[in-house]
Amino acid sequence: MRKFVLLMVLVIFAAGLTVTGCSKAKGQAEVALKAAEKAISEVKPEAEKIVPDQIKALEATLSGAKEKFGKGDYSAALSDAQAIPGKVKEIVASLNAKKDELAKTWTNLDQGLPKMMEAIKSRVGILSKSKKLPANMTKEKFEEAKSELDNALKDWETAKESFKGGKLAEAVTKGNAVKEKAAQVLQILGMPVPAAAKS
Amino acid sequence: MKRIFRGRIEKGGKGVSEEDVKEKGGSDSWSAEQWHEVKKGDTLSKIAERYYGDGSLYMKIFEANRNILRDPNLIKVGQKLRIP
Repeated sequence: MRKFVLLMVLVIFAAGLTVTGCSKAKGQAEVALKAAEKAISEVKPEAEKIVPDQIKALEATLSGAKEKFGKGDYSAALSDAQAIPGKVKEIVASLNAKKDELAKTWTNLDQGLPKMMEAIKSRVGILSKSKKLPANMTKEKFEEAKSELDNALKDWETAKESFKGGKLAEAVTKGNAVKEKAAQVLQILGMPVPAAAKS
Repeated sequence: MKRIFRGRIEKGGKGVSEEDVKEKGGSDSWSAEQWHEVKKGDTLSKIAERYYGDGSLYMKIFEANRNILRDPNLIKVGQKLRIP
């Protein structure tokens, strides 16, 4: 009888330890998940504009960790969640590098595109006064050039609006599209396409 | 049809002279300016006709090159003219 009581005490003690350990692991996992969630939410607004794939991958890791937590696999959830803040740091580094690159590209576009546009506007203005178009240009081609110039000018304004609104990646994408359009117009007009607009 | 031969530089030019259309070299890789190197037989009106289809627009070229041209009737072989 004494042995049985002793055994029962041991079993209860062991069960208590297990419950305590489990509860501790659950608590740690909960804390780690909250920290991971917070780390992601701090960079997400900017990251999803500039490095969307990387932030999506990290969110998937967080979802996976939450799923493991839900299934009671606290240690796996803890391990996954603890890795997230480090990955967030990597995203921040990547984000900053990309922002620098975009800022340089935008500065380049902002300095160069107006020159291209002015050259095109000047030529279109002169050709509009011409009694006859040059030998290698049809009326249809000239009309196309005028129309594309109008579109490029409008698109450039929207690109500048994006930049003013802090949407750097969007501004650069739009600016590059304007560059391509302007290069096409130059070709239609028989004018040289600047080296910077060829890349 | 009356033709204007403004800026003729030499007699005996045969038809439309061979012209070079090129970008002026330099550090400005965004420049879309067009340049024309004056060849024997060139006149401003011939150049205007080539680029604009209308020789009477020669003054546009003259005005764009006032820094090197004093008279639309006087252009020199080898001069590089900006075509606006």
